[in-house]
Amino acid sequence: MAKVNVDELVEQNDPETTPERLVERFGRDFFRDFDIDDPNLNEHFHEVIDLMVQKCPVAHSKVGTGYYVFSSEEAVRRIGQDWQTFSSAKGYIPNRPDDQPLMIPVEQDPPNHTSWRRALNPHMSPQVMEGIKDDVAREVNLLIDKFIDRGECEFISEMAGLLPGRAFFIYVLGVPVDDLPELVHDVDKSLFGPLDQRTTYHKKVYDYLEAFLKKRKDMPPQGDIVDTILKGVTYKDGNEAPWDHQVSVVLDLTYGGISTTIYALGSTARHLADHPDQRQQLLDNPEWIENSVEEFVRAYSPVVAMGRTCMKDVEVEGVSLKEGDYVMMGFSGAGRDPRTIDNPKELNFEEPTVHHATFGVGPHRCIGSHLARMELAVFIREWLKRIPHFRVKPGTKPVYETGFLRAMSSLMLEWD
Amino acid sequence: MRMKVDELLCTGHGRCAKFAPGVFTLDDAGFNTAAGETVDVPAGQEDDATKAMKACPERAISLAD
Ligand code: HEM
Ligand code: HEM
Ligand code: SF4
Repeated sequence: MAKVNVDELVEQNDPETTPERLVERFGRDFFRDFDIDDPNLNEHFHEVIDLMVQKCPVAHSKVGTGYYVFSSEEAVRRIGQDWQTFSSAKGYIPNRPDDQPLMIPVEQDPPNHTSWRRALNPHMSPQVMEGIKDDVAREVNLLIDKFIDRGECEFISEMAGLLPGRAFFIYVLGVPVDDLPELVHDVDKSLFGPLDQRTTYHKKVYDYLEAFLKKRKDMPPQGDIVDTILKGVTYKDGNEAPWDHQVSVVLDLTYGGISTTIYALGSTARHLADHPDQRQQLLDNPEWIENSVEEFVRAYSPVVAMGRTCMKDVEVEGVSLKEGDYVMMGFSGAGRDPRTIDNPKELNFEEPTVHHATFGVGPHRCIGSHLARMELAVFIREWLKRIPHFRVKPGTKPVYETGFLRAMSSLMLEWD
Repeated sequence: MRMKVDELLCTGHGRCAKFAPGVFTLDDAGFNTAAGETVDVPAGQEDDATKAMKACPERAISLAD
């Protein structure tokens, strides 16, 4: 690990950023010893992230073998784009256990990564997602039907937690509709269930999806993404990608899209519940909805940070990194970087140019970004048509969880 | 006004075609069809093209000349 004196990076004599002041305010000195899993981060999330991107865009962590978190938009972009120097092939979370199988394509570098993306991208393009928009709108309305007359709902379990799974499994992967309730339930438990049961449920999801792939092997081709995954790709060494990589692609698509989109839906609904004026803007100007999606995901990035391993000595923002060092791209901070965004804490639906790194940058750019954008825009449009005015139920508090992803596990909404 | 699209930087975020559909289009994989090329921005579309340039998360679009 390269020696970095964080005090040199933090403005000297700033009373707001002394170790004592940070511990007093947040329960931890997140600048000099960041921990993505510390519950204090969950508690003070935006305060910590905003102060970090402003005052300490290179935070240092002593957890495990240690890592850095870069949160300026420029540094995030540089690290994401330079895949030769910053490799994904040793995992996207720090201190990753060696015995965990690598996920494909997210924990792979070009050129093998490129082979997969070239094959998969055409199935996930904006044009394809445009084609399933009406289906997703119908799904949103079916879910709303179930609770609208009650005047309230628990938004995560009754809407946000169901829509991304249904949209992906039915309209992208083509899983039999009868299997959905159990599959969506198991995915949910593998992500948010009791800690000691998550592995069991994850195994169940894995087994289901592997069996689904096997079944499709014996069926006539349908020209969809599953056929493309079954056809596979040839790696640089001339070998075909093995079966476990093919299964991993299906799992990566599944898990990459569920929790992230749930949080994006949840934070969008909460923002609209808390800001009647901005809700009114979208009611009056439905043509702003697509721009609002960019603002919601910019300001409330579902992925807090993902990492890379340095393949050589390199300097980023004045920090000398050594080969083998682990660096994280702080997407949450990058979307709220005052160097790139005017008034980053405000959401501005009217001004259309929004520059953010929420869907990643470089070759790993989120393959589901167009699906997620479409789902969010359709959700906002259909929800506001039927429930134009709503609020967080008085006496309740939205519940968040934070790790490398920001997640929401409860949001009670009510309307008249 | 002319803009160039960097072939290596474009990864298919598709923001360009959203903001300037009259200037930039996407191929089947969702990448800018002009990747690796320079495009003439049609008269009257300079504002849209500039928005697209600024919105590209990869900064793959830049002014030519
Ligand atoms: C708002 C919702 C979403 C957000 C914020 C998000 C964010 C991200 C980010 C930041 C990355 C980059 C990872 C890296 O650089 O290592 C990524 C990659 C990925 N995402 Fe998403 N995602 C979302 C929705 C989805 C959806 C709906 C799907 C699938 C249907 C999906 C599937 C994937 C996959 C497979 C990758 C890996 C791509 C690669 O490594 O080439 N995501 N996502
Ligand atoms: C082949 C692909 C993937 C596999 C096999 C996989 C595997 C897993 C497993 C086993 C868990 C449960 C961990 C536990 O027992 O607590 C998990 C959790 C999770 N994964 Fe993945 N994952 C994949 C891809 C992704 C991607 C691409 C993303 C995001 C961009 C993602 C986001 C998450 C999240 C949010 C959790 C929950 C973490 C928590 O609750 O602490 N996964 N994944
Ligand atoms: S916005 Fe940028 S990266 Fe995305 S398709 Fe257009 S040029 Fe390529």
